[in-house]
Amino acid sequence: MDELRVVGSDGVQYIVVRLGEEQYGIDIKYIDNIIRMQGITRVPKVPEYLKGVINLRGEVIPVMSARLKMFLPEDEITRTSRIIILKLEQHGTVGIIVDEVKEVVTLDSEHIEKVSYDSANTEGANFVNAIGKHDEQLISLLDLNLLLQEKENA
Amino acid sequence: MDVSQYLEIFIDESNEHLQNLNTQILNLESDPNSSDTVNEIFRAAHSLKGMAGTMGYKRMQTLTHDMENVFSEVRNGNIVVQPGMIDILFQCLDALDEYVSNIKESADEGTNDNQHLIDQLNAILNSKGGAAAPAPEKKEEAKADSASGDGKKWLSIALDGAQKDVMEEAVRQGKKLYGLTITVQESCILKAARAFLVFKAVEENSEIIVSNPPAQDIEDEKFERDFSLIVVSDAEVKDIIKAAENVSEIESVLGDIIDMKEMNIAEEKKVVKEAPVATATAVSEAPAERTAPAAKAEKKQTPGKPVVNRTVRVDIEKLDSLMNLVSELIIAKNSLVSISSQDETQHSGAFNEQIEYLESVTTNLHESVMKVRMVPIESVVNKFPRMIRDLSKKLGKKMELYMSGEDTELDRTVVDEIGDPLMHLLRNSADHGLESAEVRAQRGKPETGSIFLNAYQDGNNVVIEVGDDGNGIDVEKVKNKALERGAITPEQAANMSDKEIIDLLFLPSFSTAKAVTDVSGRGVGLDVVKSKIEALSGEVEVKSKLGEGSTWIIRLPLTLAIIQSLMVVVGGEKYAISLGSIQTIEDIHPSEIKTVQNKEVIHLRGTVIPLIRLNEVLDIESTKSPDESMEVVIVKKGDKQAGLVIDELIGQQEIVIKSLGKYIKQCKFISGATILGDGEVALILDANALI
Repeated sequence: MDELRVVGSDGVQYIVVRLGEEQYGIDIKYIDNIIRMQGITRVPKVPEYLKGVINLRGEVIPVMSARLKMFLPEDEITRTSRIIILKLEQHGTVGIIVDEVKEVVTLDSEHIEKVSYDSANTEGANFVNAIGKHDEQLISLLDLNLLLQEKENA
Repeated sequence: MDVSQYLEIFIDESNEHLQNLNTQILNLESDPNSSDTVNEIFRAAHSLKGMAGTMGYKRMQTLTHDMENVFSEVRNGNIVVQPGMIDILFQCLDALDEYVSNIKESADEGTNDNQHLIDQLNAILNSKGGAAAPAPEKKEEAKADSASGDGKKWLSIALDGAQKDVMEEAVRQGKKLYGLTITVQESCILKAARAFLVFKAVEENSEIIVSNPPAQDIEDEKFERDFSLIVVSDAEVKDIIKAAENVSEIESVLGDIIDMKEMNIAEEKKVVKEAPVATATAVSEAPAERTAPAAKAEKKQTPGKPVVNRTVRVDIEKLDSLMNLVSELIIAKNSLVSISSQDETQHSGAFNEQIEYLESVTTNLHESVMKVRMVPIESVVNKFPRMIRDLSKKLGKKMELYMSGEDTELDRTVVDEIGDPLMHLLRNSADHGLESAEVRAQRGKPETGSIFLNAYQDGNNVVIEVGDDGNGIDVEKVKNKALERGAITPEQAANMSDKEIIDLLFLPSFSTAKAVTDVSGRGVGLDVVKSKIEALSGEVEVKSKLGEGSTWIIRLPLTLAIIQSLMVVVGGEKYAISLGSIQTIEDIHPSEIKTVQNKEVIHLRGTVIPLIRLNEVLDIESTKSPDESMEVVIVKKGDKQAGLVIDELIGQQEIVIKSLGKYIKQCKFISGATILGDGEVALILDANALI
């Protein structure tokens, strides 16, 4: 059913991932690749959330922990853990570790509600710029530029 | 006519010719009588003019044309080279340079006519009266070369025996011989194409026997505005002229019947050995074939022509992608090596043999690709003699630049970047380094100051030294300046060695020149030099002796992409250290460690070397117990040394340097990462940053 639906002009596709108990949506246009967990080489003297670098088909790609960046508890690497490779103009290619990749959803603009938090008091939530509704579930849509921005860690 | 696709080639070649002209005119200044130099200048100016004309850059063409006229007169001995003339010629080159850079930016040459330069050139031409008496045969040559004459130029075509035979045979058959001289319009862009059309038109009712310049040269646009033909035909001469005139962009066609006696048949000239036995039947052959012997003869007559380099211009991106592929291949090879070493029992000897073979092939392939990327630093340093000459005039100091090792090769990317820093250092030497003539005389030095630039290869590095025999660095002056600027405190100043003080010069906004000249002294110099060189993974140091001069030593890595490294293990993690910075590897027992000023040092063969425990630097637990003997890698940077304490040695490996990506602001001592044979990523330690 989802697959058959014609994507409307204002419909945006999101990949739904799980971090802890919550579901987050990542705009598909920034996603280059999704890979299984692999050995990460630690890089010294970098913020804690930067887990290190991996080899993705001959390229060295930095990997960060979305959990640590969002002030959630340290990752537990399980069989469902994945690294999502993001490609952003501003930051280049970066991988983020998520607990599970669930599905791809298409959200029309009427199903997306913009949120504006007072970023000072809601830690962790300030990486979310909107909430999407899909089949009775709520999906927090990540603002990747904010997530990847470095000074948030201060 | 769209010529934009040739623009890049045009710019490249123009720059080459301009550089060549610069060098040769400098030579001419020091040796005004060298005919080789004049010939070379003439050729370069001529090609430049032709190219500018083809591309439709009129102003550039006009200027080069007038320059060429001057060179032509110099070549013929009608004008004697004078210093004033050299200055004007250099100004012309600067103007041409400006045209080229305008073209580079906007594909347009700009609107500067440089009329004053043209006037000056013409003034030189007109003042030739008092020049030495020209040799008569040279004058004749000039007549043949000159584009302005409009006479019956076919009369000056030199014929060889075979061509003469053909002509005589044709006359015997009752055909008529005509000479034609065709002049192409000055505005014509595609001279060769027009000439080709003329050939076609003429061939409709006649046969071309000789063309001057030869057909091949005409095809290559190696002619001025006119060319001459000798044809046999049954038709009237005016019909042939009419046919040729129908081709567009042809200014004039001159034609007349030829009397064989008028022709100067160059029988004494060497006829090419393989010249076909040209009989009347040759008349029906294709025109290109017929003119081929003439072309060959032409070549033999100009033996002085330098052999053209057999080169292909390749986009640097294509080379980069080739380099990446080689890198991938090396990684794949490394992984084969690591598989084979994991359990040797499973593999036959042949397998290992093949792997070794593959290893040697990839190493050679890598070297070849690297070599392709290597260019001599010549392309950068060639412009310096001219710069020093100009500086010498501007500063009113006599100086001479001595260069050696211009053929030293460096990676293309490095060569592109190294020009500015070197120029800075040379300017510094000329402005600050060399003393004024009076001071030099007082110190008993020759009046002319020497500046030198030496380049040579030293192991995996290329060293470029820039120095002068001038004043040297005045340590006290630097110290006072630093105090004045607040860069150091008086206590610090008291404890600093001379070397440390000299290093202060590399601080941003530090200039000791009392007066700011437009040559140097704005205080934006040496720190930029240093950061630029460090960006290229190089280093710069300075040696100086007050009153005797100073030398700046730049050390650059040969390549930036693939290096030989030593793989080590620290706290269970693998790291690579560039082999270039490693001196020795020592086995040190903990009891040998001494403490000096709270720092651990070891005493090794007479030198005290500070120890750096890598596990501490890298925030990781060492896997070794503290009383075990330690592996210490001794690294050097300049004349400083340090011992890096590691847990385990793996061995030497060729590694491909990869960037960590822009997301990780890597710390200073990690210079990148590499991918090991098993796909694992290992970080590369920059030993220089650790010391």
